[in-house]
Amino acid sequence: MRQTTGQISRFGTLKSLLQRFAFLSLIGITFALMLIGKADTVLVDRARTTVTDAVTPILRVMSEPAGVIANFINNIHELANIREENAELREANGRLLQWQAAAQRLESDNQSLRNLLALVPEPGATFVTARVVADTGGAFAQSIIITAGTQAGVRKGQVVMTGEGVVGRVMQAGLYSSRVLLITDINSRIPVLIGDAGNRAIMAGDNTLRPRLRYLGNRTAAAPGDKVVTSGDAEAFPPGLPIGQVARVDDGVVEVEPFVVRDKLQHVRVVDFGLEGILADQPAPPAKK
Amino acid sequence: MPLPFIQKVDLGARRMMPFGITLILMLFAMTPTYITGLSHITPMYAFMAVYFWSIYRPDLLGYGTVFAIGLLEDLLGGTPIGSTSLILLVCQRVVFSQQKFFNSRPFALIWAAFALLAGGAALIRWVCVGLAGASGFTPFGTMVAAYGMTIAVYPIVAWFMAKAQMKLLAQQ
Repeated sequence: MRQTTGQISRFGTLKSLLQRFAFLSLIGITFALMLIGKADTVLVDRARTTVTDAVTPILRVMSEPAGVIANFINNIHELANIREENAELREANGRLLQWQAAAQRLESDNQSLRNLLALVPEPGATFVTARVVADTGGAFAQSIIITAGTQAGVRKGQVVMTGEGVVGRVMQAGLYSSRVLLITDINSRIPVLIGDAGNRAIMAGDNTLRPRLRYLGNRTAAAPGDKVVTSGDAEAFPPGLPIGQVARVDDGVVEVEPFVVRDKLQHVRVVDFGLEGILADQPAPPAKK
Repeated sequence: MPLPFIQKVDLGARRMMPFGITLILMLFAMTPTYITGLSHITPMYAFMAVYFWSIYRPDLLGYGTVFAIGLLEDLLGGTPIGSTSLILLVCQRVVFSQQKFFNSRPFALIWAAFALLAGGAALIRWVCVGLAGASGFTPFGTMVAAYGMTIAVYPIVAWFMAKAQMKLLAQQ
């Protein structure tokens, strides 16, 4: 009996030692992984893409009920406000008809001027529509996973938009899914133009709801309400895409309220403007002799 | 007498439940809620599950499983890989080493201990992500808001897990 108790006790000690060894080994591996993640981003990106592709079908199923509930709540809101909305739409319709007439006149002007200059038109943009199935990262990263990958023509670096404006850029493109880095992410940097004067700046995300403007030459160059659009510098984005408007200017800190609300995203468009951009996987230029 | 095959499968499935629930909660954290302002303060759901099961069924959720779940969360979430695994492992280690403290304590005390542990974990993760990421530290306020959400949501998640535990693991 004493021998059995001794065996159990020895077994318990051995088990405890093994557990401690496993814990310490795994802690060591987590630190090693963090270092690898910093050093070899290609390898980590590949692992992320493979895992995201594999898990996206599950995320797609899990996001369905939330989408149905959101649509239901939206419908109730719309029904409750139907009269007011109708009046607003009538008013907007009148205004838009005036704009339509102006646009048609400008288009014919534009066409005749293009003919006059014999301008070669730029290739048109093509797009793919995809569903948002995951909103990942929480407080530490801001990205979404969408249900379109390289099979649908999505490539790394392409611009992701909704009707309101820019959502972000494709950061990883798997076969059937892609990860989009949102403009509010701490790693997002976008060259922008501000207001009618077109002052240049870089819009940098910081994982909050409002990205900030950096490298703004003149502190008075931005005022609340100024529109912020892409500048087209660095060929990451084509010029003139709407991003948001200046929300607050305080002691040199300029915050931008994006037009796109991250939490409301259900479907997005991945647009191919034919730009290579700074995110695309490009071969290294040949060394100069 | 050896168990019939179907009972073995049933028992195996029941014993997998803590892992399954932790995995589902981790994926649930990524599901869009369509509620404005909630995405950037998403609670640490997987952390709640690891804490709960480490207290009540430490035999069914080991270090290796917790490490794998953390790694999967980082790979899917776009956060530096290893950072989530680290805090989940530390949480589990602390709970395992204080089993006597957690034994048959009232929920308020378990909740308070969770708040303390989650605070430490959020801080560790904030430092790790700041150092391992490419663009520095996330604003401290955002991290604190996410931590506040984690504490606020814990009783609800714990209630569901306790129900699941009573329903599926009580006979063992």
